Amino acid sequence: MSTRQWLWSLRLGAMALLLSFSATSAEPAKQINSDACMKCHKRNGQMLGHHGQDAMKMTCSSCHGEKGDHPKKPNDLVVFGLNEASETSVQLQVCHKCHMPAKLSSQEWTHNVHAQKVACAACHKLHSPTDPMAEITPKVRSELCRNCHTGQQE
Amino acid sequence: MENSKRRFLKGTCALLAGASGATLLATVSASNEAKADPSVKYALIHDETKCIGCKACEVACRETNHVPEGVARLKIEQTGPYGEYPNQFYHFSRKSCQHCEDAPCVNVCPTGAAFIDKETGIVSVDAWKCVGCQYCIAACPYKIRFINPVTHAADKCDFCRETNLAQGKQPACVAACPTKALVFGNLKDPTSQVVQVLKANPTQRAKVDLGTRPKLFRIVAKSGEVAI
Repeated sequence: MSTRQWLWSLRLGAMALLLSFSATSAEPAKQINSDACMKCHKRNGQMLGHHGQDAMKMTCSSCHGEKGDHPKKPNDLVVFGLNEASETSVQLQVCHKCHMPAKLSSQEWTHNVHAQKVACAACHKLHSPTDPMAEITPKVRSELCRNCHTGQQE
Repeated sequence: MENSKRRFLKGTCALLAGASGATLLATVSASNEAKADPSVKYALIHDETKCIGCKACEVACRETNHVPEGVARLKIEQTGPYGEYPNQFYHFSRKSCQHCEDAPCVNVCPTGAAFIDKETGIVSVDAWKCVGCQYCIAACPYKIRFINPVTHAADKCDFCRETNLAQGKQPACVAACPTKALVFGNLKDPTSQVVQVLKANPTQRAKVDLGTRPKLFRIVAKSGEVAI
């Protein structure tokens, strides 16, 4: 009886060990997250999205530009987003290095109408594990339009 | 004896004449009421120049009227892109019930399930009367009717007659539109927004040559970018 109990506890222990091992090994640290920038930007620099995968061999400066005078201001770093961000044309130039407008429009028609007027980061988020635009529901999508298209200007 | 019989006959005749006269009067007044024009006649305008194609109307309609997936009371049809990159644009047009004054769907319905609401002019469906023969679907020149997979009855836009309108609110699509491209109101009220917009803008209706007298108006989009 005691032998059987001992065997069961051994099996359970082995299972627990395997599970904990697989949990830790499922998310290997991405190369981009050991970038020099991460020494300061531990919290806001974590790159968990698609663009951070090792095979793409991207670094922080691939999109944000070379460090230059940073952290002094003004500097030439590209800041993505809507508020306190770089000029829309500057932001677009970075994304357009790889993403061709023709291909973007075949994926989603709204790319065409916003072409050079809205920065990609107004809708897309690259640092989070998944882009909020991936598998967006119709309801959330129409609410996103509403954020800017308020009908106030007419 | 003779006298009493005579009086009885006279009295009965008078009573009968009175009663028939009263019923006649009653029916005349009733038919007059039915003919009297209702004070409310709802219409909708889709201003395509303001529509940005966000489809918030579609989503709101589905939610409010519990329209199951796979069918829709309201669709925004998109054409384009027009123009050259980066100045491209699209056109959006609304596809939904036109609420015809002379509705073919109502004319063909054998059970009376399809009807025009006398008080509002809204073309509607009594789901419990519908036997699903689909005559209305065949008859509708605008191809907007469908069989609801849940109720198994013919279904279509009813300006939220049973949901939002009943609660004194605007139809769901109108309330949801962020750019106020949809204007809903009473055609009989000269001060209503819908009448003001119709007076101020050139509008079009679909297939008017069929004599259906539809009440869904569109302000046709000009070419060029849509301003927000």
